[in-house]
Amino acid sequence: MLQALIVDDEQHCIDRLKLLFENHKHNIGNYKICHSVSQAKSILENYNIDVLFLDVQLQNEMGFDLLKQLNTINFEIIFTTAYDSYAVEAFKFSALDYLLKPIDNDDLTLAMDKLKERKTLLNSAKKVASLLHNLNKNNDNKVINLSNSEGLHIIKVKEIIRCQADGNYTHLYLQNDKRITVSKTLKYFENLLKSYLFFRIHQSHLINLLYLNQFNQKKRVVKLNDGSEIEVSIRKKEPLLRILNDMKNF
Amino acid sequence: MTRLLFLILFYSTLTFSQNKVLDSLENKLKTHQHRDTLRVKLLINTANNCQHESPEKALKYIQEAREISENTGWLKGLSASIRQEGIVYYYQANTEKAMDLWQEALKVAEPLDDKVFNASIYNNLGGIFADMKQSERALEEYNKLLIAAKEANHKPYLINALSNIGVVYNEMNNSEKALPYLVEALEIAQEEKSDYFVAAIKTNLGHVYQKKGEYLKAKKQFEDAVSMAVSLKNKYIEASALNSIGKINIALNEFDNAKINSEKALVLANEIDAVEWKSDSWLVLSKVYSEKEDYKQALEAYENHIQFRDSIFSEEKKAEITRKDMQFQLEKKEALSNAEIKRQKIIKNSAMSGGAILLLIAVLGGIFYKKRRDDIEKVRTSQFESKVADTELKALRTQMNPHFIFNSLNSINDFIAKNNIKEANNYLVKFSKLIRAILENSDKKWIPIAEELELTELYIQLESYRLHSKFEYHFEIDDQIDQENTLIPPLILQPFIENSIWHGIAPLTEDGEITISIKQKEKMLICTIDDNGVGRMTKSKSSKTSMGIEITKNRLEIISQQKKVKGDLKLIDKPKGFKVELSLPLEEQF
Repeated sequence: MLQALIVDDEQHCIDRLKLLFENHKHNIGNYKICHSVSQAKSILENYNIDVLFLDVQLQNEMGFDLLKQLNTINFEIIFTTAYDSYAVEAFKFSALDYLLKPIDNDDLTLAMDKLKERKTLLNSAKKVASLLHNLNKNNDNKVINLSNSEGLHIIKVKEIIRCQADGNYTHLYLQNDKRITVSKTLKYFENLLKSYLFFRIHQSHLINLLYLNQFNQKKRVVKLNDGSEIEVSIRKKEPLLRILNDMKNF
Repeated sequence: MTRLLFLILFYSTLTFSQNKVLDSLENKLKTHQHRDTLRVKLLINTANNCQHESPEKALKYIQEAREISENTGWLKGLSASIRQEGIVYYYQANTEKAMDLWQEALKVAEPLDDKVFNASIYNNLGGIFADMKQSERALEEYNKLLIAAKEANHKPYLINALSNIGVVYNEMNNSEKALPYLVEALEIAQEEKSDYFVAAIKTNLGHVYQKKGEYLKAKKQFEDAVSMAVSLKNKYIEASALNSIGKINIALNEFDNAKINSEKALVLANEIDAVEWKSDSWLVLSKVYSEKEDYKQALEAYENHIQFRDSIFSEEKKAEITRKDMQFQLEKKEALSNAEIKRQKIIKNSAMSGGAILLLIAVLGGIFYKKRRDDIEKVRTSQFESKVADTELKALRTQMNPHFIFNSLNSINDFIAKNNIKEANNYLVKFSKLIRAILENSDKKWIPIAEELELTELYIQLESYRLHSKFEYHFEIDDQIDQENTLIPPLILQPFIENSIWHGIAPLTEDGEITISIKQKEKMLICTIDDNGVGRMTKSKSSKTSMGIEITKNRLEIISQQKKVKGDLKLIDKPKGFKVELSLPLEEQF
């Protein structure tokens, strides 16, 4: 049984979660409720909380402020938010879970299932660190957190040269000949990285355009800085040319 | 009227020095049988030297020269031959023939554009005009030669021009003007040591003194000419000079001397058949007989004089010559104007062809420019059209959103009214998920089938809630379709599903069933929505649903245009239920 804390400034959102918790009595035992960062901080410091449901927008504060003020993070975090693509991207980058409000029961079930799968809570602190790192708007050195059987990897976006699909797995080719394989689809990475000059040139290939060395239009092959030569699918040739042209003009 | 001693021009300067060359010339002709330009020159020279003594022989030589020139295509030789032939006829007092030939020579020489040579022929023609007392016209021709000769520093021609001009002025009773010309001519001729010219000029000079009444001076000149002509064996000049002395004799009342001189001249004139000098001799003789009161002889002599004179220049002949001249002038003018017309034509033609080329270039340029412009325009138009189409599509999608949202809001309202709060709550959460998904996809033209099916299922789940699971739904997707890679316009199926649920299944008393299937057929994607509802027959005319279908039809039309593949929408009424078949151009992500 997990001890939970709900941090939200809006009562109807709290009510919605309370209602949903009825369906999850087997997972969530007791839960506490608070409305602000300071209340939450004192609860977290005085009680043993396993999972924190943290609203992103709290009156005049941000949910992230709570995390900044804590010395240790030894609990799981599930953010709750209405629609905020900026925050959502940050959660995804940091591999932190989130629920969109109004919260769907199915989504909550999924989130609880993931929670149970986790072997250790140690990663939370690292993930939060990445989140806070990425939330710094002046930061052009964003990182993504990826977990696999080897553990949690914190990877700089800049480091990624290309991603290659392998069924439901994706191989990430990084600088210095590093390679990581994770159990996420290439489509997941495409969506995650599309605003960072990554372009899917093929059903199985997503490349970082910053590492594009040469585009042989005749052969439809791109040559990347690491020496790899990747095929460009017929349908992506023109869009790639357009995007390269835009980059040049930029 | 007496014939004047004009210097008539012939081919070469060889004849200048002496007259003894005839024999050597004839010898040379015998040794040089090769029919070349040198032989032509020799022939003409020989003819020139024998034309007074034996005109027939001269004409024979000239004929050969003409033939060689014609065969070798040597125009100057041909023209010189013709000119020489004219000279022969001129000395035989056949002025008409001479005129014909000189005019012909001019025509032949025309393309050579040799001004000096042409002027020499004009000089000869001038002699004819001077004979006819057309002094102005004669001077005109002589001056042409004078200018050409001075430019070319051609001494023989210069002598000719000066001498002839002097003669004409003398004929015009202008001795003062005549003298300087003749004196200058004489000086040059003496410098050149040309006895022929000196003799001829002295004769002419004598005529000037004679006119001035300076008979002794005149007589001296004539006598010099005679002695030079004798040594030159030039009977023509000798006869002319002797006749002139005879006239002086009469003026000085030396009638016996006059008779002797004129009879001598007559003999010479008869020998060379020089009609003009015969005429002259008979005139002097008639005066001598008249003085001796031998009127019968005087009359006979006078009749001879007239006869010979008229044989040179009868009124008929004069008219004929004038006609020929006029004709020649006319022809020349015509030739000139023809040349001018030709020149103008060339200018016109070149201007026209230049213009045509320019026009062609302009037209080609225009065509290329137009083509290029059209190409650019085409690209622009297509870009613009695709932009317009995109915008329209987007507009249609966004039009779908409120349509769908308000339909859903009505459903929620209905749902809340009929159900408990908890269910309403769940329904609303599903609805917000759907709205979120729709908004996320509304700026996309194409989404993977997998995503479209997620959206569609979300929608169907919502409707299923409302109808308390009154119907079952199935998705049948062809195995060969890669759901992640095959694309479909977002929410393209939703209006038909909505139609099936609310107008097909909702009115049913029993449970319904909806099957959504997607198959790939060549380059088309065939989507069918099949229900077992009440069908169209009993459906109420709902503007809402028809609006959704209307918008979808428009979307399909634009997509067909963009993809240049005709999509299709079939609405099929079944015995029980309704079927929609939507054909879309196959679009793949990779």
